[in-house]
Amino acid sequence: MTSTGKKFDESDFSMFFGPAHPGSGNFSVKVDMRGERVLKATADPGYLHRGFEKLMEYREPMQNAVISDRVCVLEPLQWNLVHAEAVDNLMEYDVPERAKYIRVIMAELSRIQSHFIWYAVMSLGTGFMTGFNVSMGYRDYILDVFNLITGGRVYPAGYLCPGGVRKDFPENAEKKILKLLDKVEYMRKFANKENLAWLARFKDIGVITKEDAIKYGATGPVLRGSGVSADVRRDDPYEVYDKLEFDIPVYDEGDAYHRFRVGMEEIEESMKIIKQAVERLPKGEVKTPNLKPIVQFRKAKGETYVRNELSRGEGTFYMVATGEKTPYRVKIRGPSFSHMIPILERLLTGVDYADVPAIYWSLYQCPADVDR
Amino acid sequence: MAVTEQEQTNLVKTLSSELGASVNPGRERRLWVEINPANIVDACMKVQKIGFEHLSTISAVDWLEEGRFELVYHLWSYQYNTLLSIKTKIDRKKPSISSINSIWDTYAETCEREIHELFGIDFKGNKNLIPLFLEDWEGPPPFLKDFNWREFTMKEHYKEDNPREKVYFEVKK
Amino acid sequence: MKVGPVLEVFKNLFKKPMTVMFPKEVVEIPDRNRGEHHLDIDKCSSCGSCARICPNNAIEMVEVPKELAEKYPKTYPQVDLGKCCFCALCEDICPKDAIILTTNVFLATFDINTTIKPPIIAE
Repeated sequence: MTSTGKKFDESDFSMFFGPAHPGSGNFSVKVDMRGERVLKATADPGYLHRGFEKLMEYREPMQNAVISDRVCVLEPLQWNLVHAEAVDNLMEYDVPERAKYIRVIMAELSRIQSHFIWYAVMSLGTGFMTGFNVSMGYRDYILDVFNLITGGRVYPAGYLCPGGVRKDFPENAEKKILKLLDKVEYMRKFANKENLAWLARFKDIGVITKEDAIKYGATGPVLRGSGVSADVRRDDPYEVYDKLEFDIPVYDEGDAYHRFRVGMEEIEESMKIIKQAVERLPKGEVKTPNLKPIVQFRKAKGETYVRNELSRGEGTFYMVATGEKTPYRVKIRGPSFSHMIPILERLLTGVDYADVPAIYWSLYQCPADVDR
Repeated sequence: MAVTEQEQTNLVKTLSSELGASVNPGRERRLWVEINPANIVDACMKVQKIGFEHLSTISAVDWLEEGRFELVYHLWSYQYNTLLSIKTKIDRKKPSISSINSIWDTYAETCEREIHELFGIDFKGNKNLIPLFLEDWEGPPPFLKDFNWREFTMKEHYKEDNPREKVYFEVKK
Repeated sequence: MKVGPVLEVFKNLFKKPMTVMFPKEVVEIPDRNRGEHHLDIDKCSSCGSCARICPNNAIEMVEVPKELAEKYPKTYPQVDLGKCCFCALCEDICPKDAIILTTNVFLATFDINTTIKPPIIAE
């Protein structure tokens, strides 16, 4: 056994848990190791930097809505919603009621398919290939419903746009959504079963205390797995969330296994929200009448800060407008920015190498959120 | 937990007297205040004791005609369900301000690293200002308003006789 | 020994599989799916709105070849499929409904010169 107290030892080496690795996604971490123990980890982002904040200064709001779903590939409908709310706050019109209910239904369906991907990559990182195949297969049924309503399986091209939504639901869309929830119910039971191999591997690993979680900027399932009961949908409600009823699962232990349990129990709450919203869907228009076809952004002045609860945490937009056709400054904050650089470097010090994939995937990162 | 009107007005009065500047409410659950850049570390410590413990992000805006940068610190309170945004303005030719890593540790250092790389602002007390996203970059900081990125990329990477790249040379803005 | 997994394996032996045998069968593609563009040149009025609203500068207004220049004297849109992001903003803004997006999504090719679609091909 090598001790971590000595300064130099003959078994010191460093390596990349890098971007072209089958267990790590598009993100790179450089680990300094001594034998089988990690001494220090340094995060190395930047492989997906496209400069969104500068791109959005040269395009009008309707064109920005079309490219805003490429900020993160795993939850595009939810980033559309954040951008649409930021532009709506700066202009002076009201969004119709039917459009608000449609926005909530699409955002919750996107949250369910994102949690299925979490189950899939957690299985991939620990070697359970059956779980990966089953959950990616059930995710495909949700993508077929997206294809029917928005026109694209993964990228909806600005379906939730400033002023409402781009097109109304086609015929029989509500019946197809309710039939889809029966298939989702099977996968939800599969994901909530207790798995003895994962209990042995993930319990008491990667513990974050309550004070550390708030100090280092954790949000979303990472924060709720450490004992803080906070959710943007309940504390700072947007759209029609203040009229719907749902619960928030919270656990106190703060280790990798309980963060993952918080995510899997949220699927049931999302199904409740969708059923209530489909029952109460009112009739009417879906786009404000004086907006066809382009938003007149010259009438907007001021600044606004919008917060939303994405499937990974808190995602925000800060937009400044000075009376020209395009926004003056856009600042985007992704939820993985605080999870993957300060918290990961702190959690990976002094662990065995076999625990690194478990900690890495339980923080549930999206590398496109970090770099944008 | 909803906050009553009485608690909200009490909160605005406490914050105005602690920070020494007037706090303006925007739409619901949003407060905005502007202070002097020399007092930023004291202000953040006082406000954290009142209950604003979650640092959401730090944003920077480049006002070219005025000749100043503006930094905005967004803080959220789980107790009062309100967001407080603290704005300060610093000079554009030699921009520098103290770092807040004595309160929020390596998370504040990472936000400041990003602003240093993209805007060129120096943070005193932060020893970790190495590049975050870009590698081997040898030009001016890319997000400034007087850096013409279109001319820079056209000179280095695009040729005019390629029919697919010809359209970029004809764009007017 | 647990009986649950064995029963489930037995039930799944008689169900339809989740996958289809591509390219012999194809999953049904709905009407709203955004694929290749189709221009009806008799309806186009050369206003240029589609070229101004495209977020990626993929549409350029060009003149037709000389044989057809008498019948179509103005400039007409040419689409570069390599830059297009298939967002359908050009279809929404056209005042005469001349450019529409069909459901043809099988567009992969090895030859880069076939990605630029001219407005009309002389025969």
